[in-house]
Amino acid sequence: MTQSATRTRTFVQALNEALDIAMARDPNVYMLGEDIGEMGGDFGVTRGLWAKYGDARVRDTPLSEAAIIGTSVGSAMLGMRPVAEIMFADFIGECYDQLVNNAAKMHYMFDGQFKAPIVVRTACGGGFGGGPHHSQSVEGWFLNVPGIVLVAPSTPADAKGLLLASIENDNPIIFLEHKALYRIKGDVPEGYYTTPLRKAAVARAGSDVTVVATMKMVHEALAAAAELEKEGVSVEVIDLRTIRPYDAETVLESVRKTGRAVVANEAPRIGGLAAELSATIGEECFHDLKAPVARVAGLDTPIPFSLVLEKYILPGKEQVIASIRSVMK
Amino acid sequence: MTLDIETLVDLYRDMWLIRAFEFGLEREFKKGNVPGMLHTGVGQEATQAALAAHLKATDAFFPDHRCHGINALAEEKHQGDGERIMAELFGRATGVCSGKGGSLHSANPKVGNFGDNAVEGSYMATVLGVALAYQMRGQPSVACCIIGDGTVGRGEFHESLNMAAIWKLPVLYACVNNGYAISMPVGKGHASADIVDLARGYGMPCVIVDGNDIELAYAEVQKAIDYIRAGNGPYFLEFKTWRWQGLFSGEFRPAEEVKYWKEDRDPIKLAREKILAQGKLAAEDLERIEAEVKAQIEEWIDFAKASPMPDPAKATADVYVGWEAAS
Repeated sequence: MTQSATRTRTFVQALNEALDIAMARDPNVYMLGEDIGEMGGDFGVTRGLWAKYGDARVRDTPLSEAAIIGTSVGSAMLGMRPVAEIMFADFIGECYDQLVNNAAKMHYMFDGQFKAPIVVRTACGGGFGGGPHHSQSVEGWFLNVPGIVLVAPSTPADAKGLLLASIENDNPIIFLEHKALYRIKGDVPEGYYTTPLRKAAVARAGSDVTVVATMKMVHEALAAAAELEKEGVSVEVIDLRTIRPYDAETVLESVRKTGRAVVANEAPRIGGLAAELSATIGEECFHDLKAPVARVAGLDTPIPFSLVLEKYILPGKEQVIASIRSVMK
Repeated sequence: MTLDIETLVDLYRDMWLIRAFEFGLEREFKKGNVPGMLHTGVGQEATQAALAAHLKATDAFFPDHRCHGINALAEEKHQGDGERIMAELFGRATGVCSGKGGSLHSANPKVGNFGDNAVEGSYMATVLGVALAYQMRGQPSVACCIIGDGTVGRGEFHESLNMAAIWKLPVLYACVNNGYAISMPVGKGHASADIVDLARGYGMPCVIVDGNDIELAYAEVQKAIDYIRAGNGPYFLEFKTWRWQGLFSGEFRPAEEVKYWKEDRDPIKLAREKILAQGKLAAEDLERIEAEVKAQIEEWIDFAKASPMPDPAKATADVYVGWEAAS
């Protein structure tokens, strides 16, 4: 990251800056998605860019997710740098084949003759009463897909730097934007910079227990850490930032140091990121562990609409605290 | 219509190349020398030869499920190395994808082959992006999407035609309607047995072509490509044809239907009659061409068999661009 002046920006503004900078820097970058043009996207991430760059580079599409991703992949095969928006991550099932069987395998099955450098931005996560089809955390749907990259920022500064890095990267990237983070504010450096992919961040240093988290759960973990500090528990929070392929080195180094691990994701427990991290930590750090790895995750249900029900199944600070206490026993 | 004798003879040779390739491959498959599955394009040679004749190396094509022939033709025409398709199907290191793709996943951008995809219809979405890149860069190339009649059942068919139409993309849709999606008759699987009926609503020219008449197929492809290159947007061709290969369990179609297509409507036989009718070549000339092509295919099979297997270490290469595989 270059040393430049920072300003306070929301997560959405940071993403918008990244897109603007990427479009200005490289004529091969273009965007496509539903209502991303004059309307500026359902969450305002592309606002103002249609007016600046025009119809050809900020392309409104019909409700055709498979065509959106197919178009992205095809153009990327010829060196374009598409940034697609899938309005809600829940809709990614409509283009799952395009991502899993085309984008992810293109470079491999055709022996390196093609690349599919696409970025698929999508809004994920619950907590606002969006119901079963506007609230899901989909990273688990892709964890078992070699070739896919999953990027998941938790701060405005990382949102900008990771998006710029993703657009420059030659791999197919699903860029997860948690809706609960869109309005958070943070210091964001001016101008162009990139934040490295596949590199976790130590969001808070600590010595007693490691919490590995992503996106909104990073903030829940930080809140939990602040509360437990009053009880004399020192919590290290690792923000994974890239979920696939993830930075095992930073995670394992932290767990070897603290001897305790809590892994947290919002998605359902079974077969998710927390399960993957738990297995890897268990395999690699068994003799360093003072307690079994604890998982914090959503309950194994669809996401219900009513806020009371939704709150019941989604994990938050309290679940992180409870898990930290359990591994501290 | 009548094609000049040189073009017609070239196409005749191309059709024989496809047929000899497929028969040779089938023979080796039955001997256990070719892994995986086998879908041959015998009976559909005129369609493939007509498309291959007009597509340049600077165009793109997405081959269909019975694509060995057009893949080999494209290699042979643009690089003179059709044997690399054979080697790919044998899973050898000398194949176009070093044995990582095989049947249904062979590609070579240098000859315009943007890769088959065994998930029917998947590349109907991909072709949009290739065409969009051509359009955005002002490159007068055509992105050709070859599909079967079965593919039409996929949602991507409609997403693709719609998007190509609204953006006026340079896409040639070439639907090879061979009457059956595996065992499902086209009229039973779709609302119309004429696929053009389903395409017409998207506002592009939609033309039914006799896919077993090489002269007609050649002329219609030419017309479509000229239209697309002139910047008019997408074009839809439906080739009516018939595949010789039955099911893995055997022949399932009525005997009179099989007889009709194999004897009366064999595209190679029809081409042969057209050539002889022009009176410029003798039957022996055509037999010589046939023999030459068959010998060439045997050389390709020998090449494939003699080629080394890929280095097992290749199995973990190129999962990511620039990164090692995760574990």
